[in-house]
Amino acid sequence: MNEAEIIDKLQQGNETAFRVLVENYRNMVVNTCFGLLHNTEDAEDVAQDVFIEVFRSVDKFRADSKISTWLYRIAVNRSLNFIRDNKKRKWFQPFDDVVKSKKEKLNQLPSAHAENPESELENSQRAQMLHDAIDSLPENQRVAFTLNKYEDMAYKDISEVMNLSVSSVESLIHRAKKNLQKKLYLCYKKKCI
Amino acid sequence: MKCKTLHKKLIFFLEGDLPDKEQKEVREHLEHCADCAAFAQEMKKTLGILELEKSPEVTPFFYTRVKARLENQEEKAEERVGSPVWERVLQPVLFSLLLLAGIYGGFKIGEPAVPEYSPATYAKNELIPFLNDMQTEPLETFLMEQNNGN
Ligand SMILES: [Zn+2]
Repeated sequence: MNEAEIIDKLQQGNETAFRVLVENYRNMVVNTCFGLLHNTEDAEDVAQDVFIEVFRSVDKFRADSKISTWLYRIAVNRSLNFIRDNKKRKWFQPFDDVVKSKKEKLNQLPSAHAENPESELENSQRAQMLHDAIDSLPENQRVAFTLNKYEDMAYKDISEVMNLSVSSVESLIHRAKKNLQKKLYLCYKKKCI
Repeated sequence: MKCKTLHKKLIFFLEGDLPDKEQKEVREHLEHCADCAAFAQEMKKTLGILELEKSPEVTPFFYTRVKARLENQEEKAEERVGSPVWERVLQPVLFSLLLLAGIYGGFKIGEPAVPEYSPATYAKNELIPFLNDMQTEPLETFLMEQNNGN
């Protein structure tokens, strides 16, 4: 099934087409969500909703755009909403829960083929620090950077997903890297790892 | 190249974004400056995390879960739409009526049980105008009367 066939059959409510769509694009969607959420469980959770939204709104899909562009857009929007909702929830969360969830987050960070536990710990601290630095970026920079880094997307494709010009995307990513560099330098100076 | 300048270019150097000339300048600086080299090493490791995190393993049951969630949501939507009029409209109306009846009953029970036209009521009615007169009498008149008496 090619893209047009998938969309065509999906619009007729064909379940096989939906299955093919999910199987073909699930890694891409989960990976994009993970880039913004830094948590596998949350990423899969949001990714499921992305596909449900696709299934429900397939009638609105414009034939002149690519499925992937559409999926990326929904994945980004849903991930950002998830982050916003989570922030709101944290206001009401007891402090103990926050500490607990931070610890859980640390535990499930990539062990990165580490042979010894020491470098495993270092890696997870490093990942935590990197995630914090990425999360502190302005939303637009964060999205552009994430799509570029986690999905290896070209500026042109990012510009389609974000509805921006290529030069805007270029500038967003440039500023994102500068900001990250600043944060990483501060961290290096303070020996935060 | 100064260390400070290098700190602003390092990430672009590591990503290979710099023009050849600057790329070379940074490389030369790193060869001679231990501090910058250490920072470069750190940053390289940290950015390397991005590579490690790429393409997480997705659960093999992903599609099954999507399907289950979709069906679950549709069922709920159907329940909401398909529930009989009794549950959606009549039930709330009945509960509201019961509540209102309860409140009304409460007021009725709470009212003092006064027998109509008992002698005590008459007495009270006659006393009240008298007390009212006392209240409306201006204070000055009262004081003047007192002064006159002296
Ligand atoms: Zn230096």
